[in-house]
Amino acid sequence: MATLEELTTEATAEIEAAKPMYKQVNNERLEFSSADYDQAITDLANSKWDTQQFGYVQARVEAYGSVQDQLDMQYWDGVNGTTTWADHIAQVKSDNPKPS
Amino acid sequence: MAGSLIKIDEEIVTSAVASVTLGGSDWDSSYDVYMVKVNNIQTDTDTARFQFRVTTSGTPQTDANYDRATKLLLAHTTFGNVYNVNQTNFDIVGSMGTATGEQSNLVMYCFNFNNASEYSFGTIETVDFGSSARIQGQQGGFVKTTTEANDGLHFYMTTGNFTSGSTFTLYGLKK
Repeated sequence: MATLEELTTEATAEIEAAKPMYKQVNNERLEFSSADYDQAITDLANSKWDTQQFGYVQARVEAYGSVQDQLDMQYWDGVNGTTTWADHIAQVKSDNPKPS
Repeated sequence: MAGSLIKIDEEIVTSAVASVTLGGSDWDSSYDVYMVKVNNIQTDTDTARFQFRVTTSGTPQTDANYDRATKLLLAHTTFGNVYNVNQTNFDIVGSMGTATGEQSNLVMYCFNFNNASEYSFGTIETVDFGSSARIQGQQGGFVKTTTEANDGLHFYMTTGNFTSGSTFTLYGLKK
């Protein structure tokens, strides 16, 4: 996992490559000021950090499926003696690992 | 009542920009409540985060005093809850991209923005068409836990730009 400093370096390179960047204020299109560029680097680095550290949460929520579907899996596991639900949960966790 | 919404400012993107400020020098402090309409928001870069901050004297406030609580409405899976405190912004869409149809639309109501001795509040309702042809929405609110007056909103993408046609409109609710 990258550190915030490493992600900031990455963000700095991306913002440098994206220059010139523009903002719209009072229906005027103006180039970013030096402070705007600095803030853009901070925002991009923080965005990368959030995705790295917490992206797995939403990915897991989406991959788990609905509670109804999971209950259905558990019902049929009980009837058939299978482990479909446990296997599914394990696979989702494995596919979307929590950052160490 | 006819004429209850008074347009204060409108920014229509005609050439790609990374941020748009609504209000600022156009802000009219004579209203108690403001409505913000943001529509047809599209970006030119994948995995862009669409966020906003409030402004004071036209300057985005970057302090870590944004609290939010919203319900995330997802068409493809279980609804989720989004809640956090002491953030440096409000995250509207966690990831936008360039696939066909991807866009975001929202309406906000803003309260207490002119009161320098109270917090600023807002409600937000969004609908987005995101990656993998997924529709999602968000409904809830935010509070800027700083006793300051605010005079606008600063919308931005963390990477890439708002493309032509992205529209931001600020209205005052006539008393």
